[in-house]
Amino acid sequence: MDVFGSFTLLLAFVCAVYAFIGGIAAIKTRHPLLVKSTRQAGIATCVLIFIATFAVEYLLFTDNFSQAYVVSHSNRDLSAFYKVAALWSGQEGSLLFWSFLLSVYIISVLIVYRNKNGELMPYVGVILAGVQIFFLTLNNFVENPFKTLAIVNANGVLEPFTRMDGNGLNPLLQYPEMVIHPPNLYSGYTGFTIPFAFALAALLARYPGEKWIHLTRKWTMVAWCFQSLGILLGAHWAYAVLGWGGYWGWDPVENASLLPWLTGTAFLHSVMMQEKRGMMKVWNVWLVFCTFLLCILGTFLTRSGVVSSVHAFANSHIGPWFVAFLGITLFVCFAAYVKNRDYLKSENMLDSMVSRESSFLFNNLLFLIACIAVLSGTLFPVFSEWFTNNRISVGAPFFNKIMIPIGLAILFLTGVGPLLAWRKTSADSLKRNFGWPLIVGLLGAVGAFFLGYRNGASLLCLFLCCFVFWTIVEEFYRGAKVIKARTGMSMMMSAHELSMRNTRRYGGYVVHFGMVLVFIGLAGAAFNSEAQKAMNIGDSMKLGPYTLVLQSADTKAEKNYTAQRMIVEVLKDNKQLMMLYPEKRQFQGTEQAAGTMVAIYSTLQDDLYVVYAGMDPEANVPVIHAFLNPLVKWIWLGGVWIVMGTLLALMPNRRAALGVATVPETSTSTVAQALTPGVTLREGHD
Amino acid sequence: MRAMTNAKRIAAAIALLALAASPLVIAQVGYSQRAKEIGTHLKCQCRGCDMSAGLCAHPGGSFSGPCDTAKAMLREVDQHLAKGETEQQIIDAFVAEYGPGVYMEPPKKGFGLVAWLMPVVYSIVGFAIVIFIVRKWAVRPPSAAPASPAAPSDAMERARAQADRETED
Repeated sequence: MDVFGSFTLLLAFVCAVYAFIGGIAAIKTRHPLLVKSTRQAGIATCVLIFIATFAVEYLLFTDNFSQAYVVSHSNRDLSAFYKVAALWSGQEGSLLFWSFLLSVYIISVLIVYRNKNGELMPYVGVILAGVQIFFLTLNNFVENPFKTLAIVNANGVLEPFTRMDGNGLNPLLQYPEMVIHPPNLYSGYTGFTIPFAFALAALLARYPGEKWIHLTRKWTMVAWCFQSLGILLGAHWAYAVLGWGGYWGWDPVENASLLPWLTGTAFLHSVMMQEKRGMMKVWNVWLVFCTFLLCILGTFLTRSGVVSSVHAFANSHIGPWFVAFLGITLFVCFAAYVKNRDYLKSENMLDSMVSRESSFLFNNLLFLIACIAVLSGTLFPVFSEWFTNNRISVGAPFFNKIMIPIGLAILFLTGVGPLLAWRKTSADSLKRNFGWPLIVGLLGAVGAFFLGYRNGASLLCLFLCCFVFWTIVEEFYRGAKVIKARTGMSMMMSAHELSMRNTRRYGGYVVHFGMVLVFIGLAGAAFNSEAQKAMNIGDSMKLGPYTLVLQSADTKAEKNYTAQRMIVEVLKDNKQLMMLYPEKRQFQGTEQAAGTMVAIYSTLQDDLYVVYAGMDPEANVPVIHAFLNPLVKWIWLGGVWIVMGTLLALMPNRRAALGVATVPETSTSTVAQALTPGVTLREGHD
Repeated sequence: MRAMTNAKRIAAAIALLALAASPLVIAQVGYSQRAKEIGTHLKCQCRGCDMSAGLCAHPGGSFSGPCDTAKAMLREVDQHLAKGETEQQIIDAFVAEYGPGVYMEPPKKGFGLVAWLMPVVYSIVGFAIVIFIVRKWAVRPPSAAPASPAAPSDAMERARAQADRETED
């Protein structure tokens, strides 16, 4: 199977090269057969990569310990669930998994658009093949997952060698979320390749019309959704597994995943400027280019270990390959831009400083500042080493200080932007639109103050959260009221109808609402507290409103590990609330390794986060480490809304049939009805 | 063969972790609260995490709370405190001992200042550019000037706002 896998990977490489070179020839000659054959070569590349990926999984599932990758990342007792995840737990497998997910996107694009966008697709195919060639080069010639073990025998000859068992999977990765977090994040990273390909192809082909920007936006949203989910799942994994009581440590790998998310978010906003007003075309194209480049840079940072990090298991020597690919991509983008820049000529015109347009400009500015701040902070240790020969480390406190003001400014614009009208906003409408949100925001902040959340930045954050929340409520209310008047449906049904008629706009508001919840959660971080105590059975310790009593301890043996488990009773106001079971697991494998299982009691108000920290060596009693983290749950809830909002925004708009009204008509709808009897009107865009 | 060496390296790392973890022990506190506070400004030097000595909870180890390296650093902070040194003096002493890799955030002097100034500088430059762009774009060519300069009535303004709301994103 390993020889078969190796061969399919090599064949995939050959197909990708053909799709690339043949594709260029097809663009030059416009020969229909050549166009068709290169597209099919692209599809064949993807299928071959699928087969190679399944070959690795086959080797993992059949416990083939003659394979270096299987030995390093699996063992006989590893459950099937984690054998799937073993694919992306090491360098070689991760890179193959990158190719795999990229192929899922590419094959979808090649098949879905096979009869559409005839002028554009050959260019898209060539660009996608180019990206595939890079990753297949790594898969085949640099980090091949199909390496067999060999030893030198007594005669000095190499001979194959099979181990009895493998080293097992890193215990940090033996957690359900680790099975879904990397695929999501990778789907985000790889997904940004598609908008990149469309944008670059449109520029190279000088593709007429605005169709490409719609395609680019749609695929960006898909990738953005996966990236958001991947980031949040990663944060949750860090929170629930690493046992340090936090969810975001500004680790270089975390930062790397945030960078394309920030530019992607900026693009999803500024793209509206292009669609509505024909503005900022150059800017948008470069945002898409940068997002893709940051995805590659992020993979490079994660995989090369250039900046030291807890993700050290990903270190390797693939750095120069990534730098070269980044260089080539940047050169191609720049050359395409210089050659065809007149194609991106925009009609940039603003009517007023106080308008939706200018708010988008500031929105983009803030996202870009956030991106550059994270990037420069992440790379600062490397810079400082270059310039001063001393590596100055940059940790979480730095990022927190820099990012809190930027985050709050973005949150502020989240509330203000959607309320500003396109072109020009009058002072009167400002007053009308902002009055209630401001009042609700102030009430929220005052309430939070009396509830004990007394920290400047947190209060400001909670104020803005309430402010933004109310602007969203008003937006839904206003729109739903119009539909209610027209159709006589209930307010809830009207709001639903409204969302379905302009999914993109109201999906966007749902995403904003999700972000509000996330920010509420982040505001809680200022009030984290913790306690640690060596406890005998029956001892108790107090943390916030909770009292923890160590009831007993036991040991349980599972197939792949043995666990020491503490049984902790939680009391609140002297009443028994629940039992928590923090564990320490000792994993089997040829090498012993340990992992922590955190026990969390989570409410909307706070998380009680309990870790069994090991035995105290002197007293020989267990040490319990407890954290009280207010409002963390809001972050995960926000994540759910963000995903729902994005899915809503991706749905096609429902056509609104006019003339179904059962209540007295308002003047506007009567006119509309009179003008378009029996005609359906499509509201909004897309 | 590189896969083998990689495998060995990973195995060695796991073995080291396991060695540190095997007795499942941590020492009892052994340092003051003040040391822990100052420790939040010092990076744990265990090279396995990016956390501060004060908040070290070394992920993946068999312990939570400070790892042995961090605890040794915190006890060292206590020794400095016993000599009556200030927080800054203690941080400076650690930098002299471990190098600038001990900073949790770059110092606001020397090259470290660059890290702090960078975001400020490009924020200012960015805002300047955006304001410049907004002003430039706001200058409308004469042909595009509004045909009827008369101020729109309030009702018209409201109608327009409503139309905008109902039709635009």
